[in-house]
Amino acid sequence: MTSPQEDTRYVEEAGTTRDIKNPSYFEHHGNRKKMLKLINFVLLAAGSLMILSPLWWMLSTSLKTMAEVMSFPPTFFPESWNWSNYIRTWEAAPFTQYTINTLVITTLVVIGNVLSNSFIAYGFAKIPFRGRNLLFAIVLATMMIPGFVTLIPQYVLFAKLGWVNTYYPLVVPAFFGSAFNIFLLRQFYMTIPNELIEAAKMEGASHFYIWRKIGLPLTKPAIATVAIFSFNGAWNDFLGPLLYLNDENLYTLQIGLQVFKGQLNTQWNYLMAGSLLVLLPVIIIFFFFQKYFIQGINLQSGGK
Amino acid sequence: MKKLYTIPAAFLASSLFLTGCAGFQTGNNNDSSAENEEGKVVLDFWTFWGSEIRRPVIEKIITDFNESQDEIEVQHTYLPWGDIWTKELAAIAAGDPPDVVINDINATALRGEQNQAMNLSEFLAEDDISDQFYPELWDATLYEGDSYGIPFNTDTRVLFYNKDAFEEAGLDPEQPPTTWDELEEYAAKLDVKNGDDYERIGFYPLWGINYDVWMLNANGHNFINEDNEVLIDTETNLETLEWLKGWQDKYGDDVINSYKAQIDSQQGNPFFNGSLGMYVSAPTFYTQIRDYADDLNFGVAKLPEMEPGNGHTSWGGGFVAEIPAGASNPEASYEFIKYLTGAEAQEYWAVQNFDNVANIEAAESAAQSDEFTEDGTMVYSMATEYMSDTLLTPVPVSAPDFMGSVNPKIDEVFLGSKTPKQALEEAQADVESLVEKNTRE
Repeated sequence: MTSPQEDTRYVEEAGTTRDIKNPSYFEHHGNRKKMLKLINFVLLAAGSLMILSPLWWMLSTSLKTMAEVMSFPPTFFPESWNWSNYIRTWEAAPFTQYTINTLVITTLVVIGNVLSNSFIAYGFAKIPFRGRNLLFAIVLATMMIPGFVTLIPQYVLFAKLGWVNTYYPLVVPAFFGSAFNIFLLRQFYMTIPNELIEAAKMEGASHFYIWRKIGLPLTKPAIATVAIFSFNGAWNDFLGPLLYLNDENLYTLQIGLQVFKGQLNTQWNYLMAGSLLVLLPVIIIFFFFQKYFIQGINLQSGGK
Repeated sequence: MKKLYTIPAAFLASSLFLTGCAGFQTGNNNDSSAENEEGKVVLDFWTFWGSEIRRPVIEKIITDFNESQDEIEVQHTYLPWGDIWTKELAAIAAGDPPDVVINDINATALRGEQNQAMNLSEFLAEDDISDQFYPELWDATLYEGDSYGIPFNTDTRVLFYNKDAFEEAGLDPEQPPTTWDELEEYAAKLDVKNGDDYERIGFYPLWGINYDVWMLNANGHNFINEDNEVLIDTETNLETLEWLKGWQDKYGDDVINSYKAQIDSQQGNPFFNGSLGMYVSAPTFYTQIRDYADDLNFGVAKLPEMEPGNGHTSWGGGFVAEIPAGASNPEASYEFIKYLTGAEAQEYWAVQNFDNVANIEAAESAAQSDEFTEDGTMVYSMATEYMSDTLLTPVPVSAPDFMGSVNPKIDEVFLGSKTPKQALEEAQADVESLVEKNTRE
């Protein structure tokens, strides 16, 4: 992502030094500027094309016949545009049901993450209590344990609760906070001046009220980030649904897509069509909430 | 104020609505000793066969079984290839496994040793069905003499060759190469070079299969034998590795890698349009030729032997049907497995999927099936005959992951940073210490 920007800066600098030495610099200044803009544009466009090319490959494969996918050498543009692939993909498995299932899980996970994490983070940031730092350190320490280590014990636990083959194991944990989100939101709450909280308390506001009336509105960007990342996480989650769901009617989109991948061969055209359809909501969300996405990434890298 | 209440309110409303959803009803999992309304035992059967082709076939077999008797009702659950076993492991650990699962044949003994699969010897003592299956497959299911899974399907590796290209190169299209020397000679004749580029490559041994298959082909045994002896740094393996390196030197990395990317991606294969003269693959590769390169005039042959009389040993794999440890209705599960691996179901599977099956009787009658085309029959019957020369590579219990120590060493040979001798010596030493460590405990 940064390379086109760096390139542009380089071109600008190179242009400027050369310009000063050149006597005609002042006469053609306007043209020069346009020229630089053009170079910028071309470089950025080339960079975007490069980044978009895998996406094009997906789209193009999704429209080919299987015979064309298998042809050697590969073709860049489909010989015929088989839009019917999309219909066949959708019909190859109960994808409408899978979409509803995925939406249900994702919605609840997003709600759970937003509510629980902001609530917990507020506590860590603004309510002084004994052992707060120790407890917070323990919360952060849970980030050190890789998910695979807790996989089996967690499964055994949920199995004992009788939750296997339900959505509870996928949804309920979201209502109990996650270390990274707590950390992220806590940093945000820390920026709210204590005087503000004190003042509200003087007026007789409870912590719950302060969280709702002051905390939530002031941390909106961070909450949006948490919401977006939990949406992405839940929407793309494969292992969770795989482990906990046995009934095919409860499957999610990510499991549904695997239908096209077999032991011996893969139906690439359908797989790509399906993947694009599943990717669509993520892309749409990205378009609308770009700002928060980028902020979130900055926060993440800043945090680490 | 009002706005702020909408979030919890919406949440409450949706959760109330959702508790009505199927995903939030507990107790709808196939409980262990499940019985349905008719009093039948319900079995949960996990497979990774979800494709348009395979799914209808396995579901037909299940329906046939369900209708053939009135005690057991089998329900099919599709799970994604590969991930199915992650899930199975978790389910076994939680004590709530499925009743029957399809699993990799080569690791059956390992699962027996680790108590993941059920010992089937009790059932076999009553009714020994072992002689219905290819002995090589049956032996792979044994751990300390007891069987932990019944073989279901299998495969082998065969040489596909382009008959038209043979004719063009002045070779007899009915005489495929039978030795490594012939393979080299024919490949050279099939090569068509245009400047520095190849219009056709005769053959490259490491597309489609790995070095270990050629070593198996050369020496006819696995890297670790039953007595836990490590047989990696051997004269034959060294000669094989040098021979393979020779091919790499002949075509050069640029050519090899550009084709390999295409072959590995399983999108297209240079064999389809004649830019590759010979190719080693499983017999099911025929279905791709049938579907994507219908005009191709091809033949199929055993893997060439290292020297005349050395043997045409090939490599195969396959799957077993097994009962996970802790399953609650082993008798019923075994009853279903017997049907699944019986001649009738196996033949149906073989013919519909063009897949090699483990049941000998079924495999032989499938080879005669008139549902195959001429080419199909040619490939299928050749593969069936070839089963006698096909070896499996069961995972040795003494060092299940030993290939993880061998592969990087061999990779270095092809990257040019180790000589074949060095690589084999080091791999030998590493695996020996691995085996020693594991057997001592």
